[in-house]
Amino acid sequence: MNHWPFIIAAYGVTIAGVLGLSVVSWRAMRSAEARADAMKRDR
Amino acid sequence: MHIFANPARFLSIARPATPWLFWTGLVVLLAGCACGLFLTPADYLQGDSVRILYVHVPAAWLGMGGWSGIAIAAIMQMVWRHPLAAIAGRAIAVPGALFTAICLASGSIWGRPTWGTWWEWDGRMTSMLVLLFLYIGYIALARASAASGQSGGVSRVTAIFALVGAVNLPIINRSVVWWNSLHQGPSITMRGSTIDMAILWPLGLTLLGFTFWFAAIVLMRMRAILAETKVEARMQRMARDAAVGERVPA
Amino acid sequence: MAMKSKHQRLILVLIALVALIGAGLLAASALKDEAAYFYTPYDAKTKGVDPGKAIRLGGMVVKGSLKRAADGVTIHFQVSDGKASVPATFTGIAPDLFREGSGVVAEGSFDKGGTFVATNLLAKHDERYMPRELDGMSYNETTHQIEGQVK
Repeated sequence: MNHWPFIIAAYGVTIAGVLGLSVVSWRAMRSAEARADAMKRDR
Repeated sequence: MHIFANPARFLSIARPATPWLFWTGLVVLLAGCACGLFLTPADYLQGDSVRILYVHVPAAWLGMGGWSGIAIAAIMQMVWRHPLAAIAGRAIAVPGALFTAICLASGSIWGRPTWGTWWEWDGRMTSMLVLLFLYIGYIALARASAASGQSGGVSRVTAIFALVGAVNLPIINRSVVWWNSLHQGPSITMRGSTIDMAILWPLGLTLLGFTFWFAAIVLMRMRAILAETKVEARMQRMARDAAVGERVPA
Repeated sequence: MAMKSKHQRLILVLIALVALIGAGLLAASALKDEAAYFYTPYDAKTKGVDPGKAIRLGGMVVKGSLKRAADGVTIHFQVSDGKASVPATFTGIAPDLFREGSGVVAEGSFDKGGTFVATNLLAKHDERYMPRELDGMSYNETTHQIEGQVK
């Protein structure tokens, strides 16, 4: 049996999860901190 | 420990640490994956499928390490009323659940060419699946406590749930020793490793890289929760001031 | 006063944690037999498994015991756990990692003569990982035999 399709699938799932959560967490942090900073300037 | 109790002081360390941990982690984990895919030899029995080890083992370590972190945060929240601990627990939940899911998925994909099955209900696989369900339960409880005004942290019930769930960790760890299981026994123990150095070395890189990346994600999520809490507190103050203003015209 | 309540909480949480882990481990050890994924040949012999009862049998494929029947798809082999050994037979395609001297988990049942008739084979590998060259052996994909000197 050729193992490479299985290896590629396992690495693909992992890298997709890592990159996906990176983008989601980064965006959530940036927008939340931007709102907090904007609020500070309003005062 | 109490240095971090103050959110302002925590942020002064977390802000520069976040990109540093993130990029170092990403570079090291990608380098480790590349080495594991192209530089190491195939296993004498499993052939090339052994390369799945380099993502499967870090995923298992961070899935279980994540819940250990949540449980420690729960103890700190309940005993010392540490405000950041409750936020840390909530921030760990999603990346911890992601790695538990990656561990299950990569293990399933690994099982097909080696064992000849995608899934079997043996002790290791079943207890790891229970951990994923525990994470899902924790995330739901944490959402509910955020909605009920826990100022960014998690409720007591959620913290207690984290402690109860920690019972599963030694069960996962010992499952292959206690019960006859399809999953093999531990390779790396106090007595050393039964993985040959030629195959083992990239695992050090991926373990380090994924751990750094995990820490960066936890810091990002903690910073997001702290910023949201600040905005919410301000909104509540404004709403209160507005209500007072209506009753007493200037 | 604040110090005292903090101490009390710490002790309470620690007691709760110890009790919980104790209860969990007790439950797990009580489940020991039920949660076992397979019988070893020794278990099967000492506990007496009824013929026809569907179980899983796990152990090592005894070196030199693997024989292929004339039909080409049926194999006969011995499964051992070091303490006992039982004959087994399987008709079909075995997984790649199924080979002599390596682990196997067979699903099936015993026939009246005490031979384990497997309906499915799963390969179980151990915790050792090493490069092929180092072990000085090669694996023949068609015969399911390891060729060369095994250290």
